[in-house]
Amino acid sequence: MEERVYDLIFICRPDTPEPDVDKLVSTLEHAVTEKGSKIEKIEKWGRKRMAYRVHKLQEGFYVYMVIRSSHGELVKELERRLKVSDAVIKYLTVRLDEELKREEKLKKIRERRAARRPRKATAAPAAADGQAAASL
Amino acid sequence: MAEENAPQQQQAPAPAPASGRPQGKPPGGARRGKRSFVRKKKVCRFCVDKADFIDYKKADILAPFLQERGKILPRRMTGTCARHQRWLTVAIKRAQNIALLPFAAGR
Repeated sequence: MEERVYDLIFICRPDTPEPDVDKLVSTLEHAVTEKGSKIEKIEKWGRKRMAYRVHKLQEGFYVYMVIRSSHGELVKELERRLKVSDAVIKYLTVRLDEELKREEKLKKIRERRAARRPRKATAAPAAADGQAAASL
Repeated sequence: MAEENAPQQQQAPAPAPASGRPQGKPPGGARRGKRSFVRKKKVCRFCVDKADFIDYKKADILAPFLQERGKILPRRMTGTCARHQRWLTVAIKRAQNIALLPFAAGR
């Protein structure tokens, strides 16, 4: 299976001590590396106000990570772990590789177009010069 | 030509706007007629920024495209192009799922 990129965000209860969050992150990390995948990025966004109340809580501790995996069952496993954990009140996994691919493709097209435009502009005067030379 | 035009205007001052139109029209003069307001053309913000990807994690970018109560604003209000609106809705819905944006604001 080709490699896929996932975004994984989860929200912990705001009253969980930070060591507990770190522990949870490290267990997830372990689960990821065990399956021969790798974590590209881990960001702790910290306590943030949520847009709506979850479990009667207005705030949450956000953790964001990017995972690169070619193992299909990995996401299932991670979500199971998050679901079991008491501290986690919400999580979201988004598959992102296709969108990143699209972004890259569009960027390439844009660059190519940008590269073509100045060349055309320089080509036109050159042609005009040639004509001028021919007429002379 | 100039001689012809000048007497025409003198003779008929009433239909001046009609005769004024085919002539060169200054922008101020044209607006003085029936249409008193000119709507400014809205431009897609993401096209201006040359966005190839709309990140659902940046709630502050997505927030202006929501109504007060949390509805997604239609294209005709924001001027977003079709392609970016499509991406935008997906991004907003993802952000809603992880509580970065509200499903329905209010109390």
